[in-house]
Amino acid sequence: MITKKSLPRRTFLRGMGTAVALPFLDAMVPALSAATRSKPPVRMAFVYVPNGIIMDGWNPDYEGPLGELPRILKPLEPYRQDITLFGNLTHNTGRALLDGAGDHGRCCASYLTGVQPRKTVIDIKAGVSFDQIVANQVGKQTRFPSLELGMEDARQAGDCDSGYSCAYTNNLAWRSETQPLPPVLDPRALFERLFGNGIALTPAARARENLYRRSILDFVSDDTRKLETDLGPTDRRKLDEYLSSIREIERQIEKAEKDNAQIDPHMEKPYGVPADFAEHFKLMADMMTVAFQSDLTRVITFLVTHEGTSRPYREIDIPDGHHPLTHHRNQPDLIEKVAQINCYHVRQFAAWIAKMRTIREGDGSLLDNCMIVYGAGLSDGNRHLHEDLPTLIAGRGGSHFKSGRRIVYRKETPMCNLYLAMMDRMGVHVEHFGDSTGRLDTLDLT
Amino acid sequence: MQFPASAKPPVGIGFDSAMDSIGDVLALAMLHGFDGKDQARIAAISVSSGDLRAAQFCDAVSHFYASATTGPAAMFMRFTPIGLADGKPAAESPIFAKPAGTTTIKSVIDTADPATLIRNELMAQYDQNAAVVLGGPATDLANLLNLYGVKDWIARKVRLLCIAEDGLQTDAAAARKLFTEWPTPIVTVGREIGDTLPFPGESIDKDFAYSTAHPIADAYRAFKPMPYDAPSSAMAAMLYAVHPNDGYFKLSGTGNPRALVLDPDQKERIIRTYIEMASAKPVARKPRRPPDDKDKDKDKNKEEKK
Repeated sequence: MITKKSLPRRTFLRGMGTAVALPFLDAMVPALSAATRSKPPVRMAFVYVPNGIIMDGWNPDYEGPLGELPRILKPLEPYRQDITLFGNLTHNTGRALLDGAGDHGRCCASYLTGVQPRKTVIDIKAGVSFDQIVANQVGKQTRFPSLELGMEDARQAGDCDSGYSCAYTNNLAWRSETQPLPPVLDPRALFERLFGNGIALTPAARARENLYRRSILDFVSDDTRKLETDLGPTDRRKLDEYLSSIREIERQIEKAEKDNAQIDPHMEKPYGVPADFAEHFKLMADMMTVAFQSDLTRVITFLVTHEGTSRPYREIDIPDGHHPLTHHRNQPDLIEKVAQINCYHVRQFAAWIAKMRTIREGDGSLLDNCMIVYGAGLSDGNRHLHEDLPTLIAGRGGSHFKSGRRIVYRKETPMCNLYLAMMDRMGVHVEHFGDSTGRLDTLDLT
Repeated sequence: MQFPASAKPPVGIGFDSAMDSIGDVLALAMLHGFDGKDQARIAAISVSSGDLRAAQFCDAVSHFYASATTGPAAMFMRFTPIGLADGKPAAESPIFAKPAGTTTIKSVIDTADPATLIRNELMAQYDQNAAVVLGGPATDLANLLNLYGVKDWIARKVRLLCIAEDGLQTDAAAARKLFTEWPTPIVTVGREIGDTLPFPGESIDKDFAYSTAHPIADAYRAFKPMPYDAPSSAMAAMLYAVHPNDGYFKLSGTGNPRALVLDPDQKERIIRTYIEMASAKPVARKPRRPPDDKDKDKDKNKEEKK
């Protein structure tokens, strides 16, 4: 029998101290009701990498349909039909504009705010970032208006770049012009935020709890069984895959915690942070996937490492600091190392994109309903250039983007013009943002 | 060009023209001359005709004047993009008959929207330390005025708009908007000023001879059969924008806009300056500190002292 009854989008599996949101299921679409047929929501995320990119390895030498990708983007080649590459987007407010040195602080603070931050280590001032403008409007429909994630150093005070506060280099999202939103670094803290009751435990208390720890899925097993009886085979499989992915995240976090305890029981790092960069990235990416899949949020910013970071990459045999390497003065061996770091970052990102493609949602994939920007606030890290910023969008923004191509705009085209176009896709209509001069054109399918 | 906070530079000039007359070409050469002698700095160069070859020409001229700079200074030299308006040129200009030299502009995407470019570059100037020189129609500046919040920036940064009136009639609506909405003092340069102060054509063979491939001299020769003298209203506008208080010209009446008035006693001096600046040789630039070096330490110390 066909009915017009459907499962509410905001259904949770509940248990003791646990609330697991559900992915978009066919059962959430009312049958025989085309007029009210609900479409999956559009989500957006920003993945920010610091210190610029070796642009020779990023920019293809052509416009239009994407063919063979340059070296740094190579890991994305299997998914080139899902990405749009942008050329010549510029953040003028990241430039000195008479404020002297401090391009790292400026480029990060202006990246999503579109304004020139005040040069100070005390009374910080930037602007409301555009992700927060979107979160303020669409965030009412989700459990979290936005999520801010990172993988390194969340210091908020002190001088991190030539007189610019660490608040500028260590945050992407700004709720107000004086209030940045520090990223969550610890996967355990993020997991508990997504699925728990929001109470953060000390490492000692968590260790005690872990003795008796069960999966959160154990707490919601009654609800899960009840729900499964109402679902068709496709939805049951979808639910099973989704819950398995949550269990996999739990396993990864537990492993990281065990490894950390073995390495150094007194380590200062957040407790559940994997020592390995790729593992950490994968964990955060998996949780971003689940957060989007279950519509816990539609807006995520992810500061991979902070602007100006001198993190070494021993995982790929590069013991030198990232930032010092980027001031390579055109020495080929140093350029090569930076390119390897750039490529390593893109490899992690590509793995996330690959996963997002496999998750079915509505008539397409989860990725189809997303706009995931991967980019940096500097192009040439050696010269600190703020033009032709490396920028790509993975996903189609809910079938809006004609992806699989490279679009090169005219020089000096404000990055904020892209943000206006993205806000339109998110259903948030704003006339001006930052230093925008209009909306990017030619983004539509037609 | 962007400046570090260390020292106040000379006036930053934004030059917008159709680049379809030899007067515009000579004004561009003058601007590079002033820049080389540290009497002015090039903030932005834009072309309102929509002619890609004009943008390529301006770019090649920039490369010509940068050619004396080598080594580390060249590595960190930033070429500000050339602005180019949308639309097609009305007619093929003989100015560009001969390729002017190295250019990185292959298509329109290698140029910038003039309004965005001028706005961005004005933001990098010290307050009241910029001037805008208009040598063609007012289209680009009218578009600039349409940008959100830009009038406040113009009022803050620009001390003067200097207009060579010759090209204004091409876009009367834009000219009206400019005179109504531009938020700084305006000085106009009538055609008669340019006719009374012609640039002497004989200077081309004499003063530009230091280079066998001088883009300005080549353009001059290509524009009209030699010998000829060139009207100079764009050059007069450029000279006044850089040196408004040095007695080259007087101003008519009061209010805004005001018009440039020729002081006959200054005629020789003005033409001498035209020649000196337009024919100035390329100057080697000092190496700019790479990012993160000296400025960083200096700024850090400043903050610590606070």
